[in-house]
Amino acid sequence: MVPNPFGTAPYPAGASGRVSSQSTREVPPRQAQDPLRRARGATPPLGAALSFMRLLRGGLDAGLDLPEALARGASALPREARHTFQLALHRLEGSYREDEWGFDEEFAEIVEPLLGFLYDRWWRVEAEGVRNVPSHGRALLVANHAGFLPWDATMMGAALMREHPLPRHPRFLVLDWAFELPWVSTVIRRLGGVAASPYNALRLLGQDRLVAVFPEGAKGTGKPFSDRYRLQRFGRGGFVELALRTGAPIVPVAVVGSEEIYPKLGELPALARIVGAPFFPVTPTFPWLGPMGLVPLPSKWRIEFSAPIETASYGPQGADDNALVFELSERVRETIQQTVYANLVRRGSAFV
Amino acid sequence: MAGRRVLITGVGSRVGAGLAARLERDPRFEHVAGLDTRMPAAGLGRTELIEADIRNPVIAKLIAPLEVDTVVHNQIVRQPGPGMSARAMHEVNVIGSLQLLAALEKAPSVRTIVVRGSAGIYGAEPGAPQFFDERMTRLFPLRSRFQRDVAEIENYFETYSRRHPDVSCTMLRYQPAIGPSLDTQVTRYLSLPACPTYLGFDPRIQLIHEEDGLNALVAAVVNPVRGAVNVAGAGTIGLARMVRTAGRAPLPVAGPLFGPVTSLARRAGMSRLSEDFRRLLRYGRGVDITRLVEEVGFRPRHSTVDAVQEWSRTRSGLRLTPPVRAAA
Repeated sequence: MVPNPFGTAPYPAGASGRVSSQSTREVPPRQAQDPLRRARGATPPLGAALSFMRLLRGGLDAGLDLPEALARGASALPREARHTFQLALHRLEGSYREDEWGFDEEFAEIVEPLLGFLYDRWWRVEAEGVRNVPSHGRALLVANHAGFLPWDATMMGAALMREHPLPRHPRFLVLDWAFELPWVSTVIRRLGGVAASPYNALRLLGQDRLVAVFPEGAKGTGKPFSDRYRLQRFGRGGFVELALRTGAPIVPVAVVGSEEIYPKLGELPALARIVGAPFFPVTPTFPWLGPMGLVPLPSKWRIEFSAPIETASYGPQGADDNALVFELSERVRETIQQTVYANLVRRGSAFV
Repeated sequence: MAGRRVLITGVGSRVGAGLAARLERDPRFEHVAGLDTRMPAAGLGRTELIEADIRNPVIAKLIAPLEVDTVVHNQIVRQPGPGMSARAMHEVNVIGSLQLLAALEKAPSVRTIVVRGSAGIYGAEPGAPQFFDERMTRLFPLRSRFQRDVAEIENYFETYSRRHPDVSCTMLRYQPAIGPSLDTQVTRYLSLPACPTYLGFDPRIQLIHEEDGLNALVAAVVNPVRGAVNVAGAGTIGLARMVRTAGRAPLPVAGPLFGPVTSLARRAGMSRLSEDFRRLLRYGRGVDITRLVEEVGFRPRHSTVDAVQEWSRTRSGLRLTPPVRAAA
């Protein structure tokens, strides 16, 4: 069949009742020619692009400004392409929203397909116990941490957004150093990450938000592959103080699979000092393949949210009780460690 | 009770003149005096103008006979500009503040000092809290020259208020201001044909609308509180969004090339981006304004986003792509 240069595909002959049953057999299956379906194709039809250019030119000749002319031209595009186009145009004009933390929900929706791909296909994440995360009010998610980029944080967020009955975007505390990095800092901020400062956590919890912390910090990401799934010291229990001060329940989260995405074989301390990083990892792919070495390996993941540990009954003054802070911190760590082991067994082999 | 008597330093600046005009109209203020080397452009009514350099010790003799009870220290220069080198800026800021305080030692009638300082004291840091509150000045080392100056000024006023417990000293920490009649580093930056940004960085910027900035100063004079108070519009705006909202295009420059590129552009006539402004473009800064709202009792009318939008509206002819048709 000759492709229609103007992209306005006629309905297949089968759609009209007058055509005999014989001719319908020659026509390709109806879905292939459905105009809506075509619009979803990878490349917009040539005809639409041509009429877009024509309208754009006409608009400019008529004395419109470029943005208006572009908007007029966009009316010639198929619906979905038009939507994407207008979204891009709006972002170019700066008319999008960010909250005071720099979280950009529209951006989060734009990258959702990528995260969805990683979640479903790449890491085949299985999430359990999402209902243990409170659907409203403040809460502190405490998780084990691995991998040099905070993929575990994004996958926790994806698990909540996809499987929780009342989803909300968690905000996560990220090691300060990440904000020194180009692109990484921007993406993290737009997805709801903030620098790991207790002041940030207190303010976020005070606004009744969901906050994710990784108390292992750089110790967790920087440990060698042979120590995988052995939880490191939980800092000085600062996260428990935050929870006690704000009365937020603590939800222990065990993430299994993140340890295999960047198996650290060794490190180059001299290079780390030059770039100012906490450590400079050597993995089977990094830095040998350059930026490609940052592509995480496709391990199989499990994320389990355990039952929340209530802290409000201790009152805010509990934060000054060191014994209590250490006890709670140890309890959370123990819960996560046990859940990690249990999920390791349930997961079986790491990659298939 | 007799009305208040006020002295405003830096009355020749737009904010100083604006404040004088506001206080003259207010019957609670019996006498308004202004000190500066240049005189305000707009005509003022009953304000007594004193032409003197704040760096000169002679101001002690000029201030004492005024018998003021309130001093608004507004002569803090935020950006080096034409006719103001970085060195002169440092002198006006630090030596000027010192001389003013020395003069105030000889003026026992003073009860209230309001300083229009800068939130630059917090710096711009990758690991900073997203919202600095007034107690967080010592979290990071002082990096830029302006930041050190501001810290030094705050230090002088702190020492002064410790030694004079009967004087209430308000240190207003202003975020960069934006507004149609202002010529600040931000407005100059947003008026460039393309705004240089750090490649891969999109920090959060917080600004104050010029009107709110003036109103906050008036509010602090009317209702003085002790200690530091952050002054900024609510919320923040991403740098890229700010540039685009202003109808400009960002020009991303890789970090190591940023210095050379901007100094090249400077030769071509672009104004200098100061060190602390460059850090702001890289890491951004936000402050918490709870104290301003609750204790000073002033809530800025424009959020940061509103301020940028309004500024871009008043700059007609600033569009994303005006020259396309003109060139055709």
